[in-house]
Amino acid sequence: MTRIIHAQLIRMLRRRTIVAVAVAALLLSVVSTLTVFSSAGETGAGSRQGGTTLEALAAHGGGTEAFVIGASFVGFLVFVTFSALMAGEFSGGTFRALLLRNPHRLRVIVGELIGLLVAAAGVVALAEVFTFALSLLVAPGADVTTSNWFSLDSAGAAVGDYATVFAGVAGWAIFGTTLAVIFRSIPIALAVGFAWAGPFENIVVDSWDAGFRYFPGQVLGSLIRGGTIELGIGRAFFTAALYTGVAAAVTLVLVSRRDVTA
Amino acid sequence: MTSTALSVTGLTKRYGERTAVDHLDIELPTGVVAGFVGPNGAGKTTTMAMLLGLVRPTAGSGTVLGSPIDNPAAYLPRVGALIESPAFYPALSGEENLRVFATAGGQSTARIPALLDTVGLTGRGHDRYRSYSLGMKQRLGIAAALLGDPALLILDEPANGLDPQGVREMRSLISRLAESGRTVLVSSHDLSELEQVCDWLVLIDTGRSLYQGPTRELLDGVIAGLAVVPRRDDDHPVLRDLLVAGGHEVEVQDRRLVVGLDGSSAADVAASVNQAAFDAGMVLVELSPLRTTLEDRYLSMVHGGAR
Repeated sequence: MTRIIHAQLIRMLRRRTIVAVAVAALLLSVVSTLTVFSSAGETGAGSRQGGTTLEALAAHGGGTEAFVIGASFVGFLVFVTFSALMAGEFSGGTFRALLLRNPHRLRVIVGELIGLLVAAAGVVALAEVFTFALSLLVAPGADVTTSNWFSLDSAGAAVGDYATVFAGVAGWAIFGTTLAVIFRSIPIALAVGFAWAGPFENIVVDSWDAGFRYFPGQVLGSLIRGGTIELGIGRAFFTAALYTGVAAAVTLVLVSRRDVTA
Repeated sequence: MTSTALSVTGLTKRYGERTAVDHLDIELPTGVVAGFVGPNGAGKTTTMAMLLGLVRPTAGSGTVLGSPIDNPAAYLPRVGALIESPAFYPALSGEENLRVFATAGGQSTARIPALLDTVGLTGRGHDRYRSYSLGMKQRLGIAAALLGDPALLILDEPANGLDPQGVREMRSLISRLAESGRTVLVSSHDLSELEQVCDWLVLIDTGRSLYQGPTRELLDGVIAGLAVVPRRDDDHPVLRDLLVAGGHEVEVQDRRLVVGLDGSSAADVAASVNQAAFDAGMVLVELSPLRTTLEDRYLSMVHGGAR
């Protein structure tokens, strides 16, 4: 499996890819930082639908608050990216080509996923650093004091934020991979992914609050936020683990049993 | 080393009601260049996919390089393959693609420059794959198949879509690869190309085997007709009329007459033609047997129902 991970990293760690991903991470950081600071109110709900408060921004961990909130909204982007990348492996025949060199199917699919997740871990770290730096720049303009951001508690909060965001990203990645393995076609995987995690979940939760606790996208959003008033971190983590476990099992069964014909 | 590179018995693949490969038996001696011949839908690609562990057989057993086909991990490191079409990452260069696949297979990347040279891609290795022509993509596919210095090469339509120059280069490349003692199984629609490069043939139709054995055995001794050329051009139509009057089937091809055997032996027909020309006072500059081509032989087997 390490060979497949290494092979994936050869693809990911090219200068052109690194620059493109870094620019994308910077842009997302700019958008999320500006949005979070400009929309922060005196009071706010800890909901996925709500923003944050000036008080929370000034507290320990406030420096990575924009990172967390931004990440909860770009989870969907991770989902479609993984769907497209993994479906492309099937429709483009490169999964087949990899199997000709390494016939252990489960090692190949898991190795590919891990390789992409290693790259994603780097992007998440980069995004956290960017949003923290940008928050430092923007905070004075929003009358947010940053003295609490450099404490040990803040460092712990930053690590915790990174962990929950990466856990959410991994969950989205597994869902995206499952969709790719089921459909083995980029347009179909993306269409289904968009339809489900985009309009469907969001329309339904507007009229059915319990959807926050059950829909995979909402659960992962709550996990990335470190828990919301609708769904605490513990239950979000447990539900997400359950869903991603089922998705991973479906993926592995399909990969191991189906003929590779593309 | 085993003297049989590949041996399968009763290999079968069914998709629901449809049988793609039907109790196929194949045995390839080590070191041959074997042509795998069959029309579209005959089961060539499915058979190759089963040999490569991509498709699971419904039934059948066998070995590849001495290891059972239900354990492809045991033999795939010694097998190089190009199946269906070359599959690479479009945004990566040819060299980067080879590095990715060599790494995935635990193979040395040190041979990549030499392999690019072998397939004639030196100087283009750093170009993106998406900028390659079809012929270059096929050649990169061959280079990828050679990454592990394989003992057996399985190539599915490697000349597919190539122009005549590309086909010729591919034929030359396959011949060179075979010179190093590798066993090569290559499928193609272009029977004339296979006839030139293959010393062993596996002919299949609708998933069943029609013939397998040396190319020479299939084609030698099978004479399609006689080529007859009189010395004087003026004698050409006269001789044709004489032969037709004598009950022969005659076809005019450029400057020569092709006389069919129609069930008679080549020697009897040759004697009859020679006698007719002699009696008419003509001198023949050519009276020679026409060897049957692989295409003729294959079509006669498919349409004649030979098994």
